[in-house]
Amino acid sequence: MTVHEMKHAASDSARLEAVGGRLSRVDGPAKITGAAHYAFEQRLEGLTHAVLVGATIAAGKVTAIDTRAAETAPGVLAVLTPDTIMALKTASDWFGTPPPDRPYCPLAREVTFSGQHVAAVVAETFEQAVAAAALVKVWYDETPAIVDLSDGNAGDGIAIDAMTKEWGDAEAAFAEAPVRVCAAYNTPREFQVAMEPHGLIARWQGDQLTIWEPSQWLDGMARTYAEWFGIPFENVRLVSPYIGGGFGSKALALAHSAVAAAAARMLGRPVKLVLTRPQNFTSYGGRAATRQTVAIGADRQGKIQSIVHRGVNETAVDGMWVEPLGSVTSIMYATPNFSSKQNVVRVNTVVPGAKRAPGENPSAFGIECAIDELAYELGLDPLEIRLINYAERDPHAKKAWSTRQLREAFATGAEAFGWAKRSREPRSMRDGHQLVGWGVAAGTYPVRRAYGEAMVKLLSDGSAEVESSSIDMGQGTYTILAQTAAETLGVPVEKVSVKLGDSRLARAGVTGGSRLAGVMTGAVYKAAGQALDELIGLALSDPRSPFHGLQANTLVVKDGRIASPRGDGPELSVAELMGMLGCEKIEAKGDTVPASFTREQRYNNYTTIAMALPHTEGDYSRHSWCAHFVEVRVDEDFGTVRVSRVVSALDSGRLYNPKLAESQWKGGIIMGIGQALLEEGIVDRRHGRIVNGNLADYMLPTNADIPDIQTISVGIPDPHSSALGGKGVGELGIVGVAPAIANAVFHATGKRVRDLPITLEKLI
Amino acid sequence: MTSQHIIDPPEDGHFRNGGNNQPSPTTLSIDLTINGETHSLDIEPRVTLLDALRERLALTGTKKGCDQGQCGACTVHVDGERVLACLTLAAQVEGRSITTIEGLADADGTLHAVQAAFLEQDAFQCGYCTPGQIMSAVACIREGHAGSDEDIREYMAGNLCRCGAYPHIVAAVRQAARELRS
Ligand code: FES
Ligand code: FES
Repeated sequence: MTVHEMKHAASDSARLEAVGGRLSRVDGPAKITGAAHYAFEQRLEGLTHAVLVGATIAAGKVTAIDTRAAETAPGVLAVLTPDTIMALKTASDWFGTPPPDRPYCPLAREVTFSGQHVAAVVAETFEQAVAAAALVKVWYDETPAIVDLSDGNAGDGIAIDAMTKEWGDAEAAFAEAPVRVCAAYNTPREFQVAMEPHGLIARWQGDQLTIWEPSQWLDGMARTYAEWFGIPFENVRLVSPYIGGGFGSKALALAHSAVAAAAARMLGRPVKLVLTRPQNFTSYGGRAATRQTVAIGADRQGKIQSIVHRGVNETAVDGMWVEPLGSVTSIMYATPNFSSKQNVVRVNTVVPGAKRAPGENPSAFGIECAIDELAYELGLDPLEIRLINYAERDPHAKKAWSTRQLREAFATGAEAFGWAKRSREPRSMRDGHQLVGWGVAAGTYPVRRAYGEAMVKLLSDGSAEVESSSIDMGQGTYTILAQTAAETLGVPVEKVSVKLGDSRLARAGVTGGSRLAGVMTGAVYKAAGQALDELIGLALSDPRSPFHGLQANTLVVKDGRIASPRGDGPELSVAELMGMLGCEKIEAKGDTVPASFTREQRYNNYTTIAMALPHTEGDYSRHSWCAHFVEVRVDEDFGTVRVSRVVSALDSGRLYNPKLAESQWKGGIIMGIGQALLEEGIVDRRHGRIVNGNLADYMLPTNADIPDIQTISVGIPDPHSSALGGKGVGELGIVGVAPAIANAVFHATGKRVRDLPITLEKLI
Repeated sequence: MTSQHIIDPPEDGHFRNGGNNQPSPTTLSIDLTINGETHSLDIEPRVTLLDALRERLALTGTKKGCDQGQCGACTVHVDGERVLACLTLAAQVEGRSITTIEGLADADGTLHAVQAAFLEQDAFQCGYCTPGQIMSAVACIREGHAGSDEDIREYMAGNLCRCGAYPHIVAAVRQAARELRS
């Protein structure tokens, strides 16, 4: 089959191409043939290459940098240090908080974490830059570092009052409860590890800056570049046509981005800077290490009386990250008494950041293990205790759920998994020398909503274009927007082309928190509707139209042909009609932004996260839900754990494309298997370095680690969550996987491992 | 860094960036046969096949995920066998036949069975590991290592996919292997 034929085969059936159809990825042909050019794969005249030099201490001062050898090395154009790089201005944060009026230097004089960039070399070729970077000599005045949460000098940290959630008298109710469990749950520093490293190409033309950079947020990053260089927002163009995975890591312009853009300005030539794989472990933050204590008090029937939750996450010496650890704890189960508080502790690390389901992921690890422990304490089935304490409404917001198909997820998942055949006692199922365990856990993620816009164009040949500066990093944005436009306009999907990833196109906010699909399908639906209305309006009113004078209020477009709804009168193709009208194209920019918004508010809507709509706004609390059923096999002698089976039932509301949603769910589940069994950033206690910052030592799941995974959709359209009824997909899948595995390991072995990852030494 | 020297740790225990001046590299003129076409290049001996493809020849379908031989994103075929382009110097493969993802489909655009199966099974998301997965899969089938799902998982384990497309990759390789056998 040719690429062209594939496109047709994929759209043979009308069902496939409609919203909800299992259309194959429209960007797939480019990705499987190598034709897809990712951001920093552009060919540019005069391109130079930059390589960074990172600090080898975690705390202290850079006292001197000797650049002489590097400067005279072959091909070297510049060696940048804190003293020689151009001054930038401090940019606002992602809330849009006005920045302090002080210069920003992306190369550090004061080192606060190992690997922090201290110098950069720019040369004609990549090889020359690499070689010269090795010649830069840096001297330090090292001071003691706090390497991680377990460091003796780490302390209790700073209380984050905004994280406190309390109702009833949780401590008293816990003390009085007849059945109690209380335990500590830890998750280590984890990394996003997108297969495409971070990097960029920066090019200046006068005071116009073009940045080719993988990005989850073109407009937000363009704002940062504009503020750094003191140029208008409109002067910055971000281009990011395909993104090789982000998982939360690619939403911000970072220090290395600033170095490349500054170098390009200083040299007057385009600069390409790509982080080495080890630098991808130190140049931006992964998931913060977390510690939680979960105490649950219940009556003898298993009804929860109180939950007391305390959490801590690490943050940077020079930057703040709060990983909201009470987010699932406070909504998963009904309880009359509740208390959750959280501290953050500063350690010498790069500022931690967002990794798939920040907050919900570790939060679920705590509460979903704790409820399992309570089930064993009471002699109840782990599924039963979850149903006994099912929250019929949001216990924290005290609002109705918009939709919550969690009961259905438990029932459907249990049926498909065969949960009824589980024997209750730990260590009671085995297969030869393998101990077999079955575990369950639930997950959830809030529906984050925002306002969006899109451009839809109907062209004279009957084809359509959708344009947006939103992005596709594998979630399927290209495909679902083509489906949305095709269905709304009534044209075949292969006639729709979608352009994304260029900040010159209609604006878009951040792609994160699983919000993009809901925001953008809503915007495209609206813009396409406007374009269609305009076409029909012209067809009825223009004297050149064959529909002119027809006593019809409207017309229908289907399969690219336009006719009256009654079927009387002419029927012709959209292209023929536009030809008769002499109409080159119809353009409609549609948005879901409130009409009352000022220019400033619109700008902030796309360039900050401050305008996002709370998931508990109005009368409802909006979340996606899931239940994971997992089988593990533990080697009795060696303690090695293998996940042998996963069945997950998920409620993401209406699915815009089930084929792609299933892929994303499975991707989340697989990342959860990595989190449960493999992934851990190991910090050297002397110098605070990540010692396993590469793809062999920081262990990711490989194909050989992953069994068959069955995902089942139990969602129903949720009109309160988005225009077309979808909730979130991308983050949901990972939430609850690690506790389901930990619970299965307990069932297999009788050992409760509360400290991720579950490695063999913890089981022997 | 591309080169590694075995040296004693400095007295204070810190390895600093820096070291000996490297000898200034010479330039080689080589001919590479890639996807049936010959390309003449003047490059330093230290240029990897991966950087030759991506930076000099605009063949960016072959991806760089780690540059350390740990991820498989850079997998290409040299004389029909799968090879990591980041661990291969361009100069090493002069006179050999190199195939990259750009050369896998027929000249008329007909997709290779493995490519078609990847699309049908949705065996990728972001697509960054995909060229390497596909090149590995073609070799895996040719090696006779696609007889069972177990085998496929094992012999495709050198190609990391952070998007987690593994079950669909297994399905795609299974499907393509079946089609190629018949
Ligand atoms: S880039 Fe060659 S193995 Fe990763
Ligand atoms: S498809 Fe994204 S890494 Fe494999």
